[in-house]
Amino acid sequence: MNDEGIAAAPMLDAAFSWFPIASSEDLPFRHTYHTKLLGRELAVWRADDGYVNVWEDRCLHRGVRLSIGLNDGAELKCQYHGWRYASRSAGCTYIPAHPADAPARTICCTTFPVVERYGLVWSGEEPLGDVAQVALFGDEGLTLRPVPIHAPAALVAERLRSYRFRPNPTATGSSGECTVESGDERAVVVTARDGTAEMNVVFFVQPVDARTCVVRGLLVPRPVDDAVVGVLRHHNERMSTLRDEVEEAAAVMPPPPPMQPRVRAPAPVAEPTHTPADTRTAPLRVVVARKWATADGIAGFELESIGERLPAFQPGAHIDVHLPNGLVRQYSLTNGPGDVVRYRIGVKLEPDSRGGSKALHESIREGDVLAISEPRNNFPLRRDRATTILIAGGIGVTPLIAMAQALGHAQLDFRLHYFAQSPAHLAFPEVLDLLGERVVRHLGLGPTETGQRLQEILAERRPSSQVYVCGPGSMLGATRQMAAELGWPDDAVHFEYFKNTTVVDDSSAFDVELARSALHLRVPAGTTILEVLAEHGVIVASSCQQGACGTCLVSVLDGVPDHQDVYLNDAEKQRNDRMLVCVSRAKSPRLVLDV
Amino acid sequence: MIKLYDFELSVNCYKARLLMSLLDVAFELVPVDFYPGWEHKTEEFKRINPLGHIPVLDDDGFVLWDAHAILVYLATRYDTSRQWYPVDDPQLLGRTASWMLFAEGTTNTASAARLHVNLGYDFEIESVRAGAHRLFRYLDEHLWFTEREGRCWVCPGDHPTIADIALFPDVALAPEGGIDLLDYPALRRWCDRIKRLPRFVVMGGIFPASPGR
Repeated sequence: MNDEGIAAAPMLDAAFSWFPIASSEDLPFRHTYHTKLLGRELAVWRADDGYVNVWEDRCLHRGVRLSIGLNDGAELKCQYHGWRYASRSAGCTYIPAHPADAPARTICCTTFPVVERYGLVWSGEEPLGDVAQVALFGDEGLTLRPVPIHAPAALVAERLRSYRFRPNPTATGSSGECTVESGDERAVVVTARDGTAEMNVVFFVQPVDARTCVVRGLLVPRPVDDAVVGVLRHHNERMSTLRDEVEEAAAVMPPPPPMQPRVRAPAPVAEPTHTPADTRTAPLRVVVARKWATADGIAGFELESIGERLPAFQPGAHIDVHLPNGLVRQYSLTNGPGDVVRYRIGVKLEPDSRGGSKALHESIREGDVLAISEPRNNFPLRRDRATTILIAGGIGVTPLIAMAQALGHAQLDFRLHYFAQSPAHLAFPEVLDLLGERVVRHLGLGPTETGQRLQEILAERRPSSQVYVCGPGSMLGATRQMAAELGWPDDAVHFEYFKNTTVVDDSSAFDVELARSALHLRVPAGTTILEVLAEHGVIVASSCQQGACGTCLVSVLDGVPDHQDVYLNDAEKQRNDRMLVCVSRAKSPRLVLDV
Repeated sequence: MIKLYDFELSVNCYKARLLMSLLDVAFELVPVDFYPGWEHKTEEFKRINPLGHIPVLDDDGFVLWDAHAILVYLATRYDTSRQWYPVDDPQLLGRTASWMLFAEGTTNTASAARLHVNLGYDFEIESVRAGAHRLFRYLDEHLWFTEREGRCWVCPGDHPTIADIALFPDVALAPEGGIDLLDYPALRRWCDRIKRLPRFVVMGGIFPASPGR
């Protein structure tokens, strides 16, 4: 590397290089910028937290350009059918045509690495190392107006070596003396001296496609503020002249072969490792970045990924946390939209803890590494209702706090009714404060008063409203019953139990036929369907394994299930077309499952 | 009540609809079967506009055609703030007139290319596209420096003018005519700013922007 120039990097294949693709000011508040690099179209947008997303410019649904999409500060929404993708992970968070379903985790746009430096946004196919190091950038520079040129990048870089400018364009009569300090196909440094004044321009060339490039210039040092616009105009004029000359030259040259953007294989999906004792897998490793007391008896945890970025999730999603003592526990993610760097959970210390919440409260510390599952969402939030009533009992607030933030961000009407013992028992008070008047706190109420309040809340039923409720079993039971009495349809009342407190009767014995696996198995008394399947190598995803979370839901093709879960509502149970194989069994001698 | 002889997919009709909406002026639409019916070329329609084109504005018996003339009339007649057509500031008014003429150019190139692609009009397509690119190149540069000077709109001053309205759909719908906006990031940002004006309305092919600050 010379003193003033560009680090002499070995010329690598363009696919492994960093290129500037935008000026920082090309990404103003909630704008979606459109560019192209090496023949590939890119949608580039800045989230409200400052993060710059560089994505393949194509919605995974119908291939419409995402660069015409809506940047809402946390997600990018396709204009065509409204699919939404989260900042950073680019995972799909919502599909309006399937409002009651959580999108599959595999629906994820192609992302490209990004670095923002010297007032420029850099990206590349699979860039290695760092962006160009420019020693003279000890000083702050000034980004020039980028100039698109319809000529191949190599030709433009060559012509840039003859770029001439005046270090101080306001001084009349001086032409200045220019020298090319260094330059190759990617960057050219031109220095102009006029007496004692010295000014450097560093040009980077963005290869748009085989026939087009964008010249992105940086002026170092930055001129005084009064002179900025004049200097910018001077360079724009000189660069435009250069552009016209190069374009004229390129027009008579034989056209170069087009660049074909490489088809990228989808990112590999982690293969679950089969552990016979427990079929639940924990492919993600996270470090406890922060642990704090968010309320009396409730610890907050912020979990940060080690290595790959964390997968996208939707409000209502939970993760399995695999604890060092071998226990597996489910916790809802409380994050709002756009808050995607760390997973945030709240854990209540259960007085009768069997070791799960106790371990998290007492043993796990900041810096510890935990194994967790990918987020799963069996409690998805519909965003197609005029009003949403969220009812939380105690620690049941965790999934609802994520929903409240999502609804608030989308400017959809909601109320969060939070029942707790006292102000000191309110978890995540800082988030509640941000939600303002839409949070209604019901503190220190006995069972009768709670019932009365629930009655009042549920009495406000309008045709396009929906209820989400999460809390202790008794509260859920009461709420569901009241809702039914007040005429709420089953499909407008969504609930999530922490645990299944019904006593599971596993005395029956029956046969299961697996239609897709072509297996015929016997389920003896005392063993679950899930366990029998696992013994025969058929792994059904599961999480709580007690009939509460809904992960192991499978379709029933024939036979009558003996439902013993608290996940399905009564109407769903009566249809007998789906069941949770972790606890439910058979009333008929035989079940045919779509597995 | 103002009547506008209108075709939904016409950029020129949209210019009038957009300004009336921004000015919060009530109007009713008289749909003209421009395509495929060529109703504007019928003898009946020529009794309204002998030149046989749309939009035509009928404000209580005062009949006016040509989109840009309609913009001048509407802004002068209905904009009480006198900012959309700044008649009180001779220099600003001169600039506005100059950019209105520029917009005739974008209509005759970018929007002509769109008519060629969408409705099969017979234009020298490569020539109108090249013409649109020449104008957009200049407009993008102009708007880039406008932003550097802390302003948002085509004309100097801190309020948009009818020149912005006259240019906007020609730019926003240019991709339909095969004119990519990839080289014009400042134009795309200016489109967002227009879309964020209160009472902005869309038309087929022009999408809304997310709310700004």
